[in-house]
Amino acid sequence: MSDTLQLTQERNQLFYDVIEGKIPKRVPIAVTVPTEFAIQYAGEDLTETQWNNVKLEEIFDKICQDFVTDTIPVKALRFPSWYKILGSKNWVMSSGGFLQHPEVEGMAIEEYDDFIANPYNCILEKILPRLYVNLDKDATTKAMTLAKAFKAFFDEVGHARMVSAKLIQKYGYATVNLTAGFCEAPFDFVADQLRGFKGISTDVRRVPDKVEAASEAALPLMLKAGIPPVPSKYGSTFIPLHMAPYLRTKDFEKLYWPTFKKLVEGLAEAGMPSFLFAEQDWMRYLDHLEELPENTRIMFEYGDPKLAKEKIGKKHIILGFYPISLIKTGTKQQCLDKAKELIDILAPGGKYIFSFDKSPVTVDSINVENYQAVLEYVALNANY
Amino acid sequence: MGDLQAITKAVGELDEPKLLELLNEFIASSPGKKDAQEVVAACQKGMALVGDLFESGEYFIGDLIFAGEVLTAAIDTIKPVLGDDETVKIGSMVVATVEGDLHDIGKNIFKSMAEAAGFRVYDLGIDVPPSAFVEKVKEVKPQIVGMSGVLTLAIDSMKNTVEALREAGLRDSVKIIIGGNPVTEGVCKQVGADTYTTNAAEGVKICQGWVK
Repeated sequence: MSDTLQLTQERNQLFYDVIEGKIPKRVPIAVTVPTEFAIQYAGEDLTETQWNNVKLEEIFDKICQDFVTDTIPVKALRFPSWYKILGSKNWVMSSGGFLQHPEVEGMAIEEYDDFIANPYNCILEKILPRLYVNLDKDATTKAMTLAKAFKAFFDEVGHARMVSAKLIQKYGYATVNLTAGFCEAPFDFVADQLRGFKGISTDVRRVPDKVEAASEAALPLMLKAGIPPVPSKYGSTFIPLHMAPYLRTKDFEKLYWPTFKKLVEGLAEAGMPSFLFAEQDWMRYLDHLEELPENTRIMFEYGDPKLAKEKIGKKHIILGFYPISLIKTGTKQQCLDKAKELIDILAPGGKYIFSFDKSPVTVDSINVENYQAVLEYVALNANY
Repeated sequence: MGDLQAITKAVGELDEPKLLELLNEFIASSPGKKDAQEVVAACQKGMALVGDLFESGEYFIGDLIFAGEVLTAAIDTIKPVLGDDETVKIGSMVVATVEGDLHDIGKNIFKSMAEAAGFRVYDLGIDVPPSAFVEKVKEVKPQIVGMSGVLTLAIDSMKNTVEALREAGLRDSVKIIIGGNPVTEGVCKQVGADTYTTNAAEGVKICQGWVK
């Protein structure tokens, strides 16, 4: 057996143990930087290189050489090509060359009933042409645009996956895929893509029954999106959670939680665990999270790691909590101390995977040396 | 006047139907401009209550956004009586989401609460380069500059903006507050701002303190 294949097996074993409720040899590390970060790190031009994937392998390889992790440390999520072809309004480029999701309204408040009656048709006929202006054309142009966009999407994503697979093999990374599927909590889908942050915040007060019904209508779509062709208990479907911390608890319980819980349960029944990114502070909802199917992976942004470990740490797998802002502003020693502090709290009893509270979006948003030092520290010291 | 208290209460409780009912009653009573100004003041008091309820953990971000909408609806309702009469401002500020960042939910909440507190707010929008801050500060001479951002890349943009203000000789003429998801005390120091907050209500209070 080659050395890298053995490394892959050893690294997989760390994750298998965590997932099976055993104590692994060491706390596994699952952190990634996005394509934009990798391009800047390689010293390439961000705007240009996002359009030209020829150098992607070289760029990703450099991250693999310089950052110690157990899963591949770089992840391609979005490229501008297909958004540009579609005339996207929900993913747009900033002046710095970083694709972002601005506030959008894909659906007017008067259209709730249409969406509730037939969400798929409503998305196709009303919402997509609004979010992607080049789909708001005559039938022939629209079909051509959609075909071109999908061609670009599959070309880019296929290439990026091929590059990742090569690097996983080359460096012996774990093949466990935490983000093997992707969907949103039904309420978040209604908020992010249909009504916008402002729209949903007023709808919660003005038309709560419609928000509830729309979330129910979105649930089957999210289930369909979130279950991959071959579910695996070692993989997981990534669900970045958004709106819950911005709601009152009583609104959360009535409008957000029921369909979200059904989604995670539905994925689990299909054999697919969920990997939740709990954006902002979810400490108010730990008792709710405790009700989710066992071994849900939950990456926390802010909050109290002690409280989270105590309340859900025996049932679920915890990630996150490490403030990426400290990597930017702290000294190396402060950064290492924070890693030790979190490991001491979260590692006992297993069910912990090391990650930061979020990925750094660009090279200038962190101090790279601190980032590397923390990863090395965890790889060497977080042994059981 | 009992009605004014009821208006303040309705805003504070974010009871929109009740508030609009009270305001429509008010309009129907053929009020004068001065009465209308008192109603605006009552609404602003209600917004301060909203801020307090946010700080005490009873309201959340979604409620602050809704409060902004309620206040806009209220002012629109009494506008026919109010006319274009300008109320006295307690100070002025230039706010924007910094270069490279397109997120404006937080900035908009802060803006609407600052306006409700009596500030004149010059909003430059999103993805705003340092040079645009400098130009606007030169033009309107505000007491305060507010910079907002959500992504971690906003930190360097904030720093560059402070630098640009310094180079233009404007840094000492303004107080600078930064807000948004990535800001911390450490970030504030690095950026060279005067203070930071992740809480719009608190931020408005700090600004009120600066112009007293």
